[in-house]
Amino acid sequence: MVEPVYIVASGLGIAFLLGLINKAGKNPAGGVMLLALAFMTLVSLQWMSSVVFAGNSPHYTFTAGFQPPFSISLMMGEKEAFFTTLVNLIGLLGGIYLWERFHKQGVNTMIVYLLLFVGLNVVVMTRDLFNLFVFLEISSVAITGLVLLQREHKAITAGFKYLVATGIISGILLIGIIFIYQYGGSLYIDDIIAANLTAVKGGMVAIFLVLIAIALELKPFPANGWALDLYQGAHPGVAALVSGAFASAMVFVLYKLLPIAGGQWQTMFATLGALTFVGSNLLGIKQNQSQRLLGYSSVGQIGLLVMVVGLAQFLGDRLTLIAYGLLISHYLAKAGLFWLAGVLDQDQIRNWAQLRKKPHLLALFGTFIFALVGFPPFPSFFAKWELIMQLSAGSGYVWVGLILLGSLLEAVYLFRWLGYALKLDHQQLPAINIQWHKIIPIVLAGVGLFVLGYLATPIASGTAGINFIPLAFIILIYFLDVLPARVKNIVVIAAMAYYGYLIMPGLEDVRFIFSVIFIIGGILTLLAGFAYKGRRKGFYPAALLMYAGLGQLLTAETMLQFFFAWELMTIGSYILIIRGKNSIRHGYSYMLFSVGGAYLMLAGFGVAYAGSGMADLAAIANITQLAGWAAVLIAIGFMTKTATLGLHIWLPGAHAEAESDVSPMVSAILLKAGVFGLVLLFIHMGGEAASGHPLFYVLGWLGAITALVANLSAVFQEDAKRLLAYSSIGQLGYILFAFAIMTHVGWLAGFTYTLNHFMYKAILFLIVGGIVLRLRTHYMYEMGGLIKRMPYSFIAVLIGIVALAGMPPLSGFAGKWLFYNAGIEKGWYFQGGVIFFSGIIAFLYLYRLIHSIFLGQLKDRHRRVKEISPWFLIPAYTLIMGIMVFSAKPGWILQPIGQAITQYFPSSPLRWQADGTAIGELGYWNGSQVMVIVMGVFILITLWLILLNRKAKKVEQFNIVYAGERPERPETTHISYNIYAGYNKAIGFLATPWISGLWQWIADGFRDLAVQIRRIYNGNGQTYALHLLTYVVVVYLITIGG
Amino acid sequence: MEHISLSQIAIVAGILLILIGLWAIISQRNIIKMIIGFSLFDTGIHIVMVGVGYVRGKTAPVLDEAVNVKEAARQIVDPLPQALVLTAIVIGLGITALMLAYALRLYQKKKTLDVKKFNDLKW
Repeated sequence: MVEPVYIVASGLGIAFLLGLINKAGKNPAGGVMLLALAFMTLVSLQWMSSVVFAGNSPHYTFTAGFQPPFSISLMMGEKEAFFTTLVNLIGLLGGIYLWERFHKQGVNTMIVYLLLFVGLNVVVMTRDLFNLFVFLEISSVAITGLVLLQREHKAITAGFKYLVATGIISGILLIGIIFIYQYGGSLYIDDIIAANLTAVKGGMVAIFLVLIAIALELKPFPANGWALDLYQGAHPGVAALVSGAFASAMVFVLYKLLPIAGGQWQTMFATLGALTFVGSNLLGIKQNQSQRLLGYSSVGQIGLLVMVVGLAQFLGDRLTLIAYGLLISHYLAKAGLFWLAGVLDQDQIRNWAQLRKKPHLLALFGTFIFALVGFPPFPSFFAKWELIMQLSAGSGYVWVGLILLGSLLEAVYLFRWLGYALKLDHQQLPAINIQWHKIIPIVLAGVGLFVLGYLATPIASGTAGINFIPLAFIILIYFLDVLPARVKNIVVIAAMAYYGYLIMPGLEDVRFIFSVIFIIGGILTLLAGFAYKGRRKGFYPAALLMYAGLGQLLTAETMLQFFFAWELMTIGSYILIIRGKNSIRHGYSYMLFSVGGAYLMLAGFGVAYAGSGMADLAAIANITQLAGWAAVLIAIGFMTKTATLGLHIWLPGAHAEAESDVSPMVSAILLKAGVFGLVLLFIHMGGEAASGHPLFYVLGWLGAITALVANLSAVFQEDAKRLLAYSSIGQLGYILFAFAIMTHVGWLAGFTYTLNHFMYKAILFLIVGGIVLRLRTHYMYEMGGLIKRMPYSFIAVLIGIVALAGMPPLSGFAGKWLFYNAGIEKGWYFQGGVIFFSGIIAFLYLYRLIHSIFLGQLKDRHRRVKEISPWFLIPAYTLIMGIMVFSAKPGWILQPIGQAITQYFPSSPLRWQADGTAIGELGYWNGSQVMVIVMGVFILITLWLILLNRKAKKVEQFNIVYAGERPERPETTHISYNIYAGYNKAIGFLATPWISGLWQWIADGFRDLAVQIRRIYNGNGQTYALHLLTYVVVVYLITIGG
Repeated sequence: MEHISLSQIAIVAGILLILIGLWAIISQRNIIKMIIGFSLFDTGIHIVMVGVGYVRGKTAPVLDEAVNVKEAARQIVDPLPQALVLTAIVIGLGITALMLAYALRLYQKKKTLDVKKFNDLKW
């Protein structure tokens, strides 16, 4: 074992020797410096393996052979080993990253660099307060020295402000230390803890001064303008060190010193941390400068960690997982992002679209962003999960709320940034200058996040593990992205089929029904991918992520597994949606609603965990307190995915602007994930026994109103895909209504609608998407008369809309029949009336769809257009067969579903006769007979029409008399343009997008607030100094009082 | 005047210096004056430290003929604050030097020492 003191000794020794080694040249000097850092890293790693993994007791080093307080003691325990490893590792990687800079600036910079790490190591290990002060000063001074790496003006002003601020902070620390010595008689931390100084007023003030100085070093909002300037002004390589190494060490110092306050002030620190986390992330939303934005994010993340330190007593034995998970994600992701900033050299986040010139760097950027927000499979995901669970278990719901609010605000700016990188134009931007010494640390940080996330999983999830094979496969597909799209499509479909083969036989009841939609539906929609040529870069990893998430939702048994799968699905679907040409806004709003919804779910799971003490999904069934809250929170979370009214504004754009084969995926399939969640929730709430819960009454009305408003909005759309998107919102309103009825027949109706919507919406989106690919327009007034050019599409759309409209003989009618039965049985007449009315409105938009696209006159430029790609027709016609089977033999599908739900809803099920007649409380219905009768009538009428047709005179298309008008906008003369103007005048007000306005108002409110608050950062070093002092005084008055 | 000891005077004076120093840092627009404020701030802290360590009627913690080695613990003042203050002075010196170096750089860039002129980074 190498003594820990050699970390310090080697660093210092080499720092002194560097001057000599420099005689041999700069490269040897740099090499020796890196070797020293590597040695320091190895020593701390060795202690980590000894103390953490082999379980040896902590090692103490005493200077000069005396016991403390007569000597300085360095401790190397579990935490010290971890933190010195973090510090030294980033020192090594950062040294590699800065190689070229060192070369340019010479040996003095290298010496300062080494001293920074010597300082930080001692800061972590020392048990002596004054020693801490000295090495903290060394580190601060070293940082200000390194800031001069960047000789630009902004670096120098930032460095000066930093120097002023840290000067004041160290003064406060020093005063605190000397008074602690006066009252406690020792500077050995363990002695100070034992002396219990807070009992004396003077001692309490002394301790306050020490702790507040440490808090200030952690850059608390709002007294942190100097730190933000440093992050912005310093060389990105240095900023990475400040954010990664220095901040990590200081968090540990706070943790180490907090016991000297004897259990007081934990809450105060948690509050200060929460203020920083929320405040800093709030201000971040207005920031467009990349390094400063990273500064805001850093400050916020450290605030969160301070919170965790302050709340440690709530977290029990999960503290390690939570603190390390959050810290390490922040550390790797933030260092990686700062380093990327240095590679790009783009000041504005808008220009990060430059990353698309090097897709692997873009993938790393995405990795860092998702890790920061706390998505799986990164350590922060598990840490945040545990944090929320443990805080909930301790009834710390206010803390939960603050954490989720801050996290959401952080997501707001991080995903704006990611969206810019993914979508904004990059043609005008210069190429990226790749220097390998800069890329390697970034790659290692990215890989580290994945590896550590994988390693954290068993700690977080206990015995119920998480299946990482799909994820590993996705990573493989990512690296196979160079293959042609068709090859990848085959591989991916095969993988999906195999995955389905593995999991589907093991699924029961409800889960099996949804597995048909998720897996078989997934394969069918993927078939359309064969219509695409080229490589389709990035499509397959995203699609697979979504399907892997959906698949794992089905097999999830614990709440953690469920949430993990849910978040995977969100990542995948976000990337899929934002791929659309004009999707930057829509992908962004989809993501924000998803993140917001996920956080509500997380809070709900927290309440469930707290109220039941269980980690299984069944926890929801066993909540002893606040059960209503858990249900409401989780339900709202799911309803962001089902786009219930109020939470729907992301959907129309997201579905309409997505690529042609993505729209059916996200509409027909992805929306059902929300339905699946609601179904599970309702089952766990108790099925029939819970049907009297007021929540269901509210959800029933919400479903009805959603259907009405969405259908009405669909009527007034000019864009065919947008029409279908609004129609989906409406259909999901029906589904919500049906399930909220909470009776046997109601649920049958719900499942019928779910399956039907999956089939006909996939058909319609596939066909319309195929047409859009051919015609290159979404607008119906630019289409028309396509029936002759695209007969197969026409038939498919016809069948789709007949099914959607719920007209006999197709399966939509089954849904309607069940629906009205259930509604009448339940006594929901008014809601049922609203639903009925919206069903009539649906006819309007469906008529418009088929009429505007296929009937009327063919456009001149479409005279030679071909039928849509067979790869879109094949899945559509497969689904049509499904609809036909469902329509002709509804019993084949509804009977098993009925059996499956009888365990939850035993009362008054539908009875089936041998001839396929279903008998409910109010009447009977036979799908096969209806089919035969309607087909018969249809054939008769068709024959009659053909007979009549012989008398008709054929009119050629251009055999018309022009009225001599000169339209300003030609589309206004098209019959299908504004086709329902009359209706719009009468009831259009119902469809005004006031909900979008409401959300816009909320967003603007936050943005304005950020603009107002960030004025305190006026750039003046003196103001920042004043902030520091005011902060100290205010916190003093609050905690100790005048 | 018996009940006011030298160490109390030192502590009060030190705190006054600290306050004057802080006032200068916050209110003086000239960077050099700010740095002087820092020196005062530091010096004030040092005086407080010495004051805290001083014990009335005892001698300096140096083992020479004035101090009997065996009786040392009772005859000398606490050596630790003195050691600390020495270290603190050294650190203060380093920081002052670094600040002056920054002041020089800042002046070279903008030909002014008015701290308000250096607010390019904000918000």
